[in-house]
Amino acid sequence: MPDDRIPQIGVVFPRTDALTKVRGEERFAADYYGRDLVWAGVKRAGIPHARLKSLDVDQARQVPGVIAVLTHRDIPGENRQGVVRKDQPVLVDDKVRHAGDALALVLAESKSALAAALKCIMCELEPLPGVFDPEQALADGAPLVHEDNPEGNILLKAEVKTGGDESVWDECAAVIEACFETPHQEHCFLETESGWAKVEPDGKIVIVASTQAPFRDRTEVAPVLGQDPTSIRVIAPYTGGAFGGKDGITVQSLLGLAALHAQGRPVKMWWDREESFVAGTKRHPARMYYRLGAKTDGTLHAIDVRLYLDTGPYDHLGGAVMTQAVEHSGGPYRIPHARLRGWSVYTNNPIGGAFRGFGVVQVTAAMEQMMDLLAVKLGLDPVQLRLKNAVRCGDKNCVGVTLTGSAGLEECLEKMARHPYWQNRQIWIQAAGSLKRRGVGLAAVMHAMGYGTVVPDVANAQVELTLEGKIRVYSGVVDMGQGNAATNLQIAGSILGQAPGQMELVQPDTDRTLPSGSASASRCTYTFGNALIGAAQALKERILQRASDLLMAAGPDELVLVSGLVRRVTTGQDIPLAVLAKWLTDTERIAVYRFRAPVAQERPAKDEQVRLHGLPHCIFSYGAHLAMVEVDELTGAVEVQGYLAITDSGRVLNPQTYEQQIHGGIVQGLGYALSEDFRVADGRIQTSDLATYIIPTAMDVPEMLSIPVEINEPTGPFGLKGVGEVAMNGPLPAVANAVAAACGGRCFSFPLTSERVLQVMTFES
Amino acid sequence: MREVFLPRTLDELWDLLRRRPEAVIYAGGTDVLVKLRAGLIAASSLICLERIEDLQGVRDQGDEVYIGAATTHRTLLADPVIQEHFPILIQALSVLGSPPVRNMGTIGGNVVTASPAGDTLPPLYVLDAEVEVRWSDGAKRLPLSQFILGPGKTSLGPGQLLAGVWLRKSADYNVHHFEKVGQRKALAIAVVSLAALLKVSDSGRIDQVRLAWGSVGPTVMRSGEVESALEGRVISRETLDQAAALAQTAVSPIDDIRASGAYRRTVAGNLLLRLINYAR
Ligand SMILES: Cc1cc2nc3c(=O)[nH]c(=O)nc-3n(C[C@H](O)[C@H](O)[C@H](O)COP(=O)(O)OP(=O)(O)OC[C@H]3O[C@@H](n4cnc5c(N)ncnc54)[C@H](O)[C@@H]3O)c2cc1C
Repeated sequence: MPDDRIPQIGVVFPRTDALTKVRGEERFAADYYGRDLVWAGVKRAGIPHARLKSLDVDQARQVPGVIAVLTHRDIPGENRQGVVRKDQPVLVDDKVRHAGDALALVLAESKSALAAALKCIMCELEPLPGVFDPEQALADGAPLVHEDNPEGNILLKAEVKTGGDESVWDECAAVIEACFETPHQEHCFLETESGWAKVEPDGKIVIVASTQAPFRDRTEVAPVLGQDPTSIRVIAPYTGGAFGGKDGITVQSLLGLAALHAQGRPVKMWWDREESFVAGTKRHPARMYYRLGAKTDGTLHAIDVRLYLDTGPYDHLGGAVMTQAVEHSGGPYRIPHARLRGWSVYTNNPIGGAFRGFGVVQVTAAMEQMMDLLAVKLGLDPVQLRLKNAVRCGDKNCVGVTLTGSAGLEECLEKMARHPYWQNRQIWIQAAGSLKRRGVGLAAVMHAMGYGTVVPDVANAQVELTLEGKIRVYSGVVDMGQGNAATNLQIAGSILGQAPGQMELVQPDTDRTLPSGSASASRCTYTFGNALIGAAQALKERILQRASDLLMAAGPDELVLVSGLVRRVTTGQDIPLAVLAKWLTDTERIAVYRFRAPVAQERPAKDEQVRLHGLPHCIFSYGAHLAMVEVDELTGAVEVQGYLAITDSGRVLNPQTYEQQIHGGIVQGLGYALSEDFRVADGRIQTSDLATYIIPTAMDVPEMLSIPVEINEPTGPFGLKGVGEVAMNGPLPAVANAVAAACGGRCFSFPLTSERVLQVMTFES
Repeated sequence: MREVFLPRTLDELWDLLRRRPEAVIYAGGTDVLVKLRAGLIAASSLICLERIEDLQGVRDQGDEVYIGAATTHRTLLADPVIQEHFPILIQALSVLGSPPVRNMGTIGGNVVTASPAGDTLPPLYVLDAEVEVRWSDGAKRLPLSQFILGPGKTSLGPGQLLAGVWLRKSADYNVHHFEKVGQRKALAIAVVSLAALLKVSDSGRIDQVRLAWGSVGPTVMRSGEVESALEGRVISRETLDQAAALAQTAVSPIDDIRASGAYRRTVAGNLLLRLINYAR
C-alpha cells in the first residue's frame, strides 16, 4: 500500500524499506545467487607475522568441483589496495602481516568443494617475531611490519600546537594526569561481508557488494585487475549494517579477480562470522596519555595529549582516524594552550579501520573522564565545569579553529542540568537496594561532519521525471540501514509535492547514479541532501515552467505540483505528470545538482599530510549524555538503568530515524563501555565469535531518552547536521563517570567488565 | 547431506539405534548443532527425540515429579507443578539462553551436555534429582551426581538414553534462591552461579541449607563444609562472610575467556552474601 501523503519535513516519514525488509523481500548483497553460481573463498594465514616461502595449490586444484585456485601471481594489476595508502595485498606475495591475511583464492562449484579445497592449500610460512603494542612498535629494534616504510612502524603522526609553551602549566591551579586504554571493537553487522560478481558478455565486470563506497571501490578494484575503472560497475544495495566496517575493500577485489576466472558465471563470496572477525576491520585500540590544567574556577587553561592508535598492519583509514582523534582530543571546550599529538602505528594485530565514531569515541572516553577527575579535584559541579568551558559559535575550538557553524553544546548542557534525571539524582542514588551502589555520570560530546578540507566532500544528486509520470530519485550515497534512502524520498517528495507512491528510488550504482562519496563521516544526508534539494528544485522549476507554457498561463506562479500532477490553481485545470513528461525531451526530464560541503580555512597542523587526512573540520554536532548506573557490590556487574542523550545536530527532518540513530549509537556505545572485551593475544583473536565477544542484548539496554536541541545549521539541508555518529561518543565516558561515582574509584582500561569493576571496588575498600 | 530420523516411539528409537549405532541423538539441538557447525563432532546421521511422546512433559506422581528428558525449557517454565514445587528451577530456566533457545532446548540436553555452566544443574543438584536411564531392554534410576562424571562426561553407555529426571517434592525449604553471574543479561554462559535452598526459621536461623555452585569446577560443586558453617546459624553478615571464605577455598575454578579463576573464586563466595536479603 503506497502511502499517499505528501512527505513533510520535520514529521515522521515511514521508511520505504521497512516493509520490504520485514517481509524478507529486500535483496541485500548477500542475497544474490543466480544460475551456475560459483562459490569463492580464501585461505587465511592464521598466524600474525611470517615470510611466505612457498604456496602449494596443486592438491587443492585436484579437489572435485574446484574451478580455479589463484594466488598473487594471478593478479593482473597491482597487488596493493587501500583507501589512502595502498599497503594491503589482495593476496599475500611477500609477508603475512596479520592472522587474517588472504593467501589464495579458490573458485568452486559448491560450498563443500570450496571448504575441502581450502583445507588442501599448503603454505610454507616462516614465522617472524611480531609487534603487538603500538608503543613497543615505536621502540628501536622493534620488528617492522613494512620494511619499506621510511617511518618504520609509524603510519602517520600528527601534532597540533596552540598557545604558549611549558610555562603555561605554572599558571594552572589544578593539573590532572591520567592514561586511558580502549580496546578493539567489532562492528558485528548482521550481514557479514559479502558480494557477487560477474563478467558481462561485453566484458564489463559487475560487482554487487555490501559496501559503503561503491564509487571509491571501483577505483580501488580497477588497478588490481589491471582494468580501467569505467569497465567496472559496482552496485550497492541496502547493506545489512556496516558502521564503517564496509568503508573500504572487503570482498570486492577478490570477487573481481574470481569473476575474471569464472567464464562469465556469477561468483559469490560471503564471509562467515568467524572470517568476518579475523579478516574484517575493527575500531582502533588506543592508549591515551592526558594532562589537563585549569584555573581554580574551573576555566580550562592547558592540555597535553599523546595518542597511540594501533592500526594493525594496514592503513585502511588509520591515518584519518588518528587525525580525527587528535582534532577532537581536547573535547568541545575552549582551551587556550594545547599540545595534541597522535601516532597511528603499524602492528601485527587485526586491521584497524573506520567505525562509527572514527577516533572521536576513543578521545571522548579519555577527555570526558579527565573533566570529571578535574571536577572532583576542584570540587566543582560536573555540569557547571563543562558549561563554563563549552565552545560557542565564534569560539576557537581546541585545535584553534573558529567555529562558524551552529554550536549548541551550551543548550544541551543547560537542558541536562534542568532535567529530572540530573535534578533528582541524589534521591535516586540513595534509593539503591541492598548490596548495590548507584551513580550518575555525564559526558559532553562533539563530532565533526564530513571529510575535512582537502578530500572533496561532494555529492551529485539526480532526479528524473519518468515517462510514467513518477519522480525517480537516484541515491548517490549507500543506505546501510540508517534510513537515508527514505530521507531522500522525503526531501524530494516534499519539494516536488509527491507522495511516496509517486516516487521511485535507484540505489547507488556506478552505472546509474552519480558519484556522491561514501556513506560515512556523518555526511550522508548533509552533503547528499543539499545536492538533492538543488536537483529537486531545478526539476520543479522546469516542470512548472513547461506546464505554464503548455497551458499558456501567465507564469509558473499559477501552477502547483501535487501528487501525480500539475494543477493550475487559477482555473482548476490538472495535467497528469505522465502527460507532461511526454512533452519534455529526455534531457529535460532529468535534473542534476552538485554540492560541496564548506571547509575550514585554518591550518592547525604544520604537516600537509595531516591536512590531507582531514584535519580540520568546520561543522560539528554536539551532545550531552547522562547515564544512571547501578553496580553490584558482590559481582561488580554494572547495570545501566537510565540513559539520556540531548543532541544538537541541527534541525530534525524525521524524528523517527533521528531517534533510531541516537538509540543505535547509545547501544553500540554501551557495548563498548561494558561488555565488548575484544581480546587479542600475540596477534590472535581470542574472542573469535559472538559466543565470546559479548554485544548487548535488548535485555542489557535501558530505556533511552533522546531529546533534540533543534538549532538551525545555516548550511544544512533544512538546517540539519550529521547525526550518525555523535551519540556513539557518549556512553563510555558517561557510564565510566557514573561507575566511578558509585564505586569511589576508577578503571582506566575498558570495557568495564564486572571483573574490572569488582577489582576497583575491592581496592577502594 | 546427512540423514535425520524422527522416531515417534521408543521402540522405533531402539530399532534405529541398532541400525545406526554411530548416529548422534539430539533433542532441541541447541548444543549439538553448534558443535556440528564447529566441526567438534561428526555425525553421518542424526536422530531427533522431539517427537517421542514418552520423553515429553511433566508428570505429577504424588511425592515425586517426573520430567521427560525432551521437555523444553519453555514448557517447564509454564508448568504449574514445577512453578509450585521447584521455584529454584524456574529461576534458573528463566535466565537460560534466550526465548528462542528456551523454546528449543530441553532439560535432557542440558543434563547430558554436562557443562559445569549448565543452568539447570545447580538447582537439580540441590534438589537431589535422580535421572532415569533406559536402553532397549532395561532401565535404571541413579542420582544426578553419579550420572555426571565431568565436563561433557556422563555415565551413559552406548545405546542408552536419558529418559527423564525425577524430583522429590519437599516442603522443607522456604527460600529458593538462584543467581547466575554472566557477561550480560541474556544469552550468557554462567561465569559463576549459585543455587541455594534454605529453611529459615521465624527468628532468622538457618535450619537447613543446600548449596551448589556452577562454573567453579569440572562439575557442579557442592560443599558440606560450607553448609555446616551456615546450618543452625542466624543469617548475618558475619556468618555469611565466614561461609564465603570457606567457599572460596572449596572451589577450584579455571581461567577462561569469560573470567579469571580468581574472579570466579571471589564471586563464588560473594554470592553467599546475597543471602542477607533473607535475614528476618
Ligand atoms: C545461543 C545459545 C545460548 C545458550 N545459553 C545457555 C544458557 O544460558 N545456559 C545453559 O545452561 N545452556 C545454554 N545453552 C546450551 C543449550 O541450549 C542447553 O544446554 C540446552 O538445554 C540443550 O538442550 P537441547 O535439547 O538443545 O540439547 P541437544 O543439543 O539436543 O543435545 C545436547 C547433548 O545431549 C544429548 N542428548 C540430548 N537429549 C538426550 C537424551 N534424552 N538422552 C541422551 N542424550 C541426550 C545429545 O546427544 C547431545 O550430546 C545455549 C545454547 C545456545 C545455542
